[in-house]
Amino acid sequence: MAAAGYFGRALIADVGDGSATELPLPDELLRAYLGGAGLGAWLMHRLAPPGVDPLAPEAPLAFVFSPLVGTPLTTSAKFAVVAKSPLTGFLNDALASSHFAISGKLTGNDAIVVRGACATPSVLLVDGDGVRLIDAADLSGRPAAEAEQRLRERLGRGWRVAAIGPAGEQGVRYATISHDGRHAGRGGLGAVLGAKRLKAVAVRAATKVASADPQAVLAAARDLRARSFGPATAKYRELGTLANLLAFNAISTLPTRNFQAATFAGAPRLAAEDLSKLRSVTRNSCASCTIGCEHIYSARGGKQMRVEYENVFALGPMCGVSDPDAVLAASGRCDELGMDTISAGGTIAWAMECVDRGLIDAPWLRFGDAAALLRAVDEIGARQGLGELLAEGSRRAAEHVGGGSAAFAPQVKGMELPGYEPRTMQALALGLAVNARGADHNRSGAYEADLSGNHDRLEGGEPHVAAAIESEDRAAVMDSLILCKFLRGVFSEPFGEWAALLAAVTGWDTDGAELRQTARRIVLAKRVFNIREGWLPADDWLPERLLTESLQVASGRVATLTPERLRGMIDGYYAARGLDGQGRPAGRVLADLQLS
Amino acid sequence: MSTSAGIVLAGGRSSRMGTPKAALEWHGSTLLRRTVGIISRVAGGPVVVVRARGQILPALPADVDFVDDPREGMGPVQGLAAGLAAIAARAEIAFVCSTDMPFLHPAFVRRVLRAADEGADVGLPIARGYPQPLAAAYRTTLAPVAERLVKEGRLRPAFLFDECMVTRLDEAALRADPVLAALDPDLDSVVNINEPADYAAARSRPAPEVTIQRFGALADAHRGPQAIRAATVAGAAAAAGLALGRHVIAALNGDQITRDGETPLATGDSVSFLSADAGG
Repeated sequence: MAAAGYFGRALIADVGDGSATELPLPDELLRAYLGGAGLGAWLMHRLAPPGVDPLAPEAPLAFVFSPLVGTPLTTSAKFAVVAKSPLTGFLNDALASSHFAISGKLTGNDAIVVRGACATPSVLLVDGDGVRLIDAADLSGRPAAEAEQRLRERLGRGWRVAAIGPAGEQGVRYATISHDGRHAGRGGLGAVLGAKRLKAVAVRAATKVASADPQAVLAAARDLRARSFGPATAKYRELGTLANLLAFNAISTLPTRNFQAATFAGAPRLAAEDLSKLRSVTRNSCASCTIGCEHIYSARGGKQMRVEYENVFALGPMCGVSDPDAVLAASGRCDELGMDTISAGGTIAWAMECVDRGLIDAPWLRFGDAAALLRAVDEIGARQGLGELLAEGSRRAAEHVGGGSAAFAPQVKGMELPGYEPRTMQALALGLAVNARGADHNRSGAYEADLSGNHDRLEGGEPHVAAAIESEDRAAVMDSLILCKFLRGVFSEPFGEWAALLAAVTGWDTDGAELRQTARRIVLAKRVFNIREGWLPADDWLPERLLTESLQVASGRVATLTPERLRGMIDGYYAARGLDGQGRPAGRVLADLQLS
Repeated sequence: MSTSAGIVLAGGRSSRMGTPKAALEWHGSTLLRRTVGIISRVAGGPVVVVRARGQILPALPADVDFVDDPREGMGPVQGLAAGLAAIAARAEIAFVCSTDMPFLHPAFVRRVLRAADEGADVGLPIARGYPQPLAAAYRTTLAPVAERLVKEGRLRPAFLFDECMVTRLDEAALRADPVLAALDPDLDSVVNINEPADYAAARSRPAPEVTIQRFGALADAHRGPQAIRAATVAGAAAAAGLALGRHVIAALNGDQITRDGETPLATGDSVSFLSADAGG
């Protein structure tokens, strides 16, 4: 009997032969890895053949749920999609919120793992009757949202669908998996599903899940709900994440023209403060969420779309485009194609700079050209023309183009950088360099420390190391429980408060100290997986541009992140994590991971 | 470029003021807090406060160092010797001032430090009719010279200047710096206060003119920059109808982030108020 909040098993569906097996997940393991990204890391250790090609049939892809899914706790309807990334070649977990999380867990599984590959385009169905495949030929080439709608019409009420768009079918290495209009966005997991010739996975609830102390869970849910209406989430409620844009521009943290600058003259045209007045249509919430961060804008032609900071940063300032209609259109087109906007924008921006430098012969692709941006997005989604190259992501594309273009490819471990300038946020710089997923702000949100006022964000050093570790640990727990990061500001003593939530659901006597240890375990398990897959110390590094070109902030100070400073912070990180000088764990650290 | 530090001499007796000058109220903060904060914005290295043994000082940021002046009542060269010795291993030059200069401007500190950075042992302003040895830049290698002069009983700064290379900055030289000329045209930076009447007159002046801007959910109906008067970040926040704290932060001149409301402001500063949570 599994602990409350869990089923104690993962379903493994082989879509090559249509079979299904069950992998028992003992309590001890679940307590060690919780769920979501943590449990997903353990599953990949267990199920991914060493050295596997992420797009090969034998590569597993897991939908991983968590103990909090199905409870009334706000923002808990989340799940992680975990696989070896075709973009980075390392472990990748992409989180999303939707009813898929609830229905998927209530199939009676803590995870649904897919491996094998279908002979023809198919949809995997999972419910109380087990697994089966249906034909998806009519869905090929359709946007994920359309495929989702058609499937739900075909399958009937109760089914929830996670689908890929054309980019996933085309093997774009940063294709997404989407559902309810949300995306498991980063790292190209849509391409993994596409390589299995799966257009979608559909789930239907078949059972219920109990909490150990329902009254305590209900009380906690009421409390969290009330707190979620407070000042900690005001930014998300009132303007959404796009509120970052103008603020970041003011403090020189808005990456512009492929990180050639950190401020963008066109930023006011894209700012939430004005756009929301002109174009805001409505707000929306993810399943089981009381924050309501989604801001739906209207674009030219009457289309409506979610607008997030990262979309606008990547397709706007990063590409030098200030036309809001073009940026919204490009963002909407990425949604339709099922592509990660950060990687799409980053790769296009890199290509624009290559054109400037005469390294790519595509004179139509220039910084600031809105039509070129839209054309590039479409070509990537179809893998046509220049899109064939750009669909590979900036790291692989730079390896192909050469000419020194790797120095300004905006990526770490192959994943394109998010919209936070590392030279003016140097705790974040460390976090981006060392994180297992690559350059991602959701697995290492050390920008919080840079904006805390507790240290000089332009002079990375020891305090930045501690801050980056704390941020990474918090993310590891939040991504495994799973709770939305936009809720983080409501917690005063996060590890203790999260432990109390977990204890109410599971009945375990978990405390904050245990969760801190759990966080370290999850972070290191991801690192160990990467080491197994060929990670080298040089992979924990930043693009050369960020270490050789300085930026001046508004005060006149110059922000410089030297290789020596980054090296010092990385060494400090390794030491604090109990790793050797090459970033590898050993001995007691390894034993705690329960991977053997 | 040399590593620069700041030294604030706070150990004077304040006998004419009748109350410790370091603790005098200044727009919700204190004179010493203001002086330390202004110097911190320019000095890349440590800021040290030289105090008398047992002297109680107002609250200061945690990264400020303190050194006890071992010989009380010996004048500024003694304080200078103690301060320079305390930071000699960590900085090459230091801006040295007393605690009673409420209008000290970062642009003035920057200009004076530049004289030492360019090679002088001392960058000595001559402003408002007098040499200003307590608003000057000193090379930290002067510490043993100052110490010897104290032992010899030669307690006036002029004795120190006789033994080193001094770049004198008259008002024309100071105003040749366009930033300083624009932000402190009357060189009020060197105005010090010694008596209650001085303090009252200084305190009655309007606070510095600064620009504020609110971003995101904090902007409400107040988008775009707005000119206000405020001597501290807390004062600017109050003018914006905000309170710094867990969810609201300030960025000073697009540079450092702070939640410390006592962070001093000077004419020409800009303060951006942002949501603390920058999740995207």
